[in-house]
Amino acid sequence: MNQRKKTIFWLAASALFLLAVAFLGYLWRDEALVTDFSRKNLAPCLKYPFGTDFMGRDMFVRTVTGLSLSIRLGVLTAAASAIFAGVMGIGAAVLGKAADSAITFLIDLVMGIPHILLLVLISYACGKGFWGVAVGITLTHWTSLARLIRGEVMQLKSSQYIQIAAKLGQSRLQIAGKHMLPHILPQFFTGLILLFPHAILHEASITFLGFGLSPEQPAIGVILSESMRYLAMGRWWLAAFPGALLMICVLLFRVLGESVCRLIDPGSVHE
Amino acid sequence: MSVLAETGTFLVSFFVPCKTKLFRGKTDGRRQNSAMDKRCLKLFGIGIAAAAFMSGCGQADSTASQADMADLGQETADPGTGAGGSGVSEKDSVVVVMTANSEPEAGFDPAYGWGAGEHVHEPLIQSTLTVTTQDLDINFDLATEMECSEDGLTWTVSIRDDVRFTDGEPLTAEDVAFTYNTLRDTSSVNDFTMLEEAVAVDEDTVEFHMTRPYSIWPYTMAIVGIVPEHAYGPDYGRNPIGSGRYILKQWDQGQQVILEANPDYYGDEVKMKEVTILFMDEDAAYAAVLSGQADLAYTAVSYAEGEVPGYSLLSCESVDNRGFNLPAVPRQTLGDGTVIGNDFTSDVLVRRAINIGMDRERLIENVLEGHGSPAYSVCDKMPWYYEGSQVAYDPEGAAALLEEAGWAMGADGIREKDGQKAVLEIAYPSSDSVRQAMAAETANQMKELGIDASIRGVGWDEAYTLAYQEPLMWGWGAHTPMELYNIYHTEEDTGLARYSPYANESVDQYMDEALAASSLEESYGLWQKAQWDGITGVTQDGDIPWIWLTNIDHLYWVRDGLAVAEQKIHPHGHGWSIVNNVDQWTWGTDGE
Repeated sequence: MNQRKKTIFWLAASALFLLAVAFLGYLWRDEALVTDFSRKNLAPCLKYPFGTDFMGRDMFVRTVTGLSLSIRLGVLTAAASAIFAGVMGIGAAVLGKAADSAITFLIDLVMGIPHILLLVLISYACGKGFWGVAVGITLTHWTSLARLIRGEVMQLKSSQYIQIAAKLGQSRLQIAGKHMLPHILPQFFTGLILLFPHAILHEASITFLGFGLSPEQPAIGVILSESMRYLAMGRWWLAAFPGALLMICVLLFRVLGESVCRLIDPGSVHE
Repeated sequence: MSVLAETGTFLVSFFVPCKTKLFRGKTDGRRQNSAMDKRCLKLFGIGIAAAAFMSGCGQADSTASQADMADLGQETADPGTGAGGSGVSEKDSVVVVMTANSEPEAGFDPAYGWGAGEHVHEPLIQSTLTVTTQDLDINFDLATEMECSEDGLTWTVSIRDDVRFTDGEPLTAEDVAFTYNTLRDTSSVNDFTMLEEAVAVDEDTVEFHMTRPYSIWPYTMAIVGIVPEHAYGPDYGRNPIGSGRYILKQWDQGQQVILEANPDYYGDEVKMKEVTILFMDEDAAYAAVLSGQADLAYTAVSYAEGEVPGYSLLSCESVDNRGFNLPAVPRQTLGDGTVIGNDFTSDVLVRRAINIGMDRERLIENVLEGHGSPAYSVCDKMPWYYEGSQVAYDPEGAAALLEEAGWAMGADGIREKDGQKAVLEIAYPSSDSVRQAMAAETANQMKELGIDASIRGVGWDEAYTLAYQEPLMWGWGAHTPMELYNIYHTEEDTGLARYSPYANESVDQYMDEALAASSLEESYGLWQKAQWDGITGVTQDGDIPWIWLTNIDHLYWVRDGLAVAEQKIHPHGHGWSIVNNVDQWTWGTDGE
């Protein structure tokens, strides 16, 4: 297997795993809410690989559903903030000085405030819950990608073939579509995928801190914050397994992002 | 873009709550908190391993964990001395652990809720005019005589003339009048609108002029600590002077309160000379017990399963009830745009079906591991409780009532009427995991009745408005019949009860009469009639606008040898009530 094939293999494997989690969680979304006090506080066993919690909920189902929710939320927020970043980045680069400084100022402003703090504020202002978290993550995660795209477009603008194209009478729109877009797309997709883990982790953090989804929801942050009180009683599995699965998902997203980057922009491997 | 660093940040945020405690522990000379550090270390173990694996961002953490190690080293020596008890000084002092939010934020000033707050208790540092007895009748503390005029508008109270504040000044009727007038003007947490003015008639007689008859005034007198007029000011909360059983010796805000016996106390001798009260979260309180640093610590059901050597579990009966409201009017929009009511629960047959369709014993077993008793009213076991409120679990009866109301069982196990499904969403405060479990169990039991019930966690910011439309899992219970009034009596501006839409003229009238009664004994009967008078009321045969599920037992780990004096039925709030009679606690001779 050469490097490219290996990369494709990893890409496919991680994509498959994540899709399976997302799909299974969607399938189990009702089951994850079921409370059955006749089976509460069970240690991990064959039937309940992650054990059950104080309300007799199957933690395996709950964890997978939580991650599935995270992944779906991640898709939504990463896509939204990537598009937002693309528009802002290109806008900053081509709309002239005033727009550029306005957008750069906005980027600096958002980046200047600690992520989690801004996230808490926005989520709270939007009434918490799913949409609070979604809006919060979207509005806080677009900045670094926007900055990257802005830089890229600026660089392209001053490159010779773009200037020649302009001199040959191509319109701005033609230049943007034909000459710039193909250069930006790889950056855009890599950035998009690499936004996922951020989005997922921040969703987990904010819910853990109590500003996100409400406690009966199967969200990974809820699961982890509930498990805290049982650590002292020795029920480590309530925290360890969901935490480990969260970590695996986040790492797989990173593998995914890097693989995509290698495949559509092979040159970057040598950087 | 460093995902790894982000992961590290998340892991650290996982430990934030216990890190703050850790810093507390270090500034605390007495080092009671090191047990928490031990637990933190365990967490850190997992955390550091993960963080180190993920990235090199663990630098700040590793310094913390070294400090932790040092603490742990010292701590191994600690339980021995702690558990053994070192001689005489241990015999008359006690270390009590309370919930972190029991600490009186504004200090020990009755005007800001000390004693007379949201969760009532005896103020210890100050004396009160009356006290509540074991059976929650009224007895005297400072008062020697108490009389109410025929019209209920004047209370005359004579007080003892031999009482001095701990600064040596005598306690006079002037101080009593000053206290009540101050509270009337400034109390931010309790209702004093029924008091027009308190007047000192002579050295040891005080008159209360009321704006309206208020027969249960003695219950208010049982929680209002008398402050000295000559030493009262803005910083009184921090430096309280009273005439009670204890003197505030030290208060390290955020950590502990140390109370010392008042040597000149006029009442029975204070047996427990020093009381140290620590404020901790549930997990930390449990750790303090495990490491032998607390003599008595509150605990929750989830920490009460195992055995702790040297400790036993004390379970105190309470009127700290849990129940939910059922809006008793159909859905409608009020003039100011508020939406209230619930079409499903506005049918009294539905409410009655739910009341007898709840298996309270099973709920207590499932959610509280048996640490609770069934509740049938907001005031079970109180002198003003109507015994007939009790109902038996009767699922067939409940089904029959629902059938009668027109809700026929559908093919999917959910009842239907005119094409509408029987749907109910039960809200619970998202910060309270016990109420969450209770809401879940309630929903499960409702499903057995054919009601498609679901649960939803809400913050207190939206809970009150939500309860106008949907059931909310509440907690109530106080040592005063006003609780009935607050829940069932209508308000003037809306014509509906304050917390859940409901109105019944007859119930209102009985409660108004109860307040206007000239004696407490007479008022008890009227409070009972407000619950059920043979025709109407708030019980199963009446309107049943609230369903009461359980009174939760208050649980404490108690060190062997400590004899905790018999407790009154605890009110709502797992806090200061336990130390109401701490002065009469003793250490057994064979308890070591």
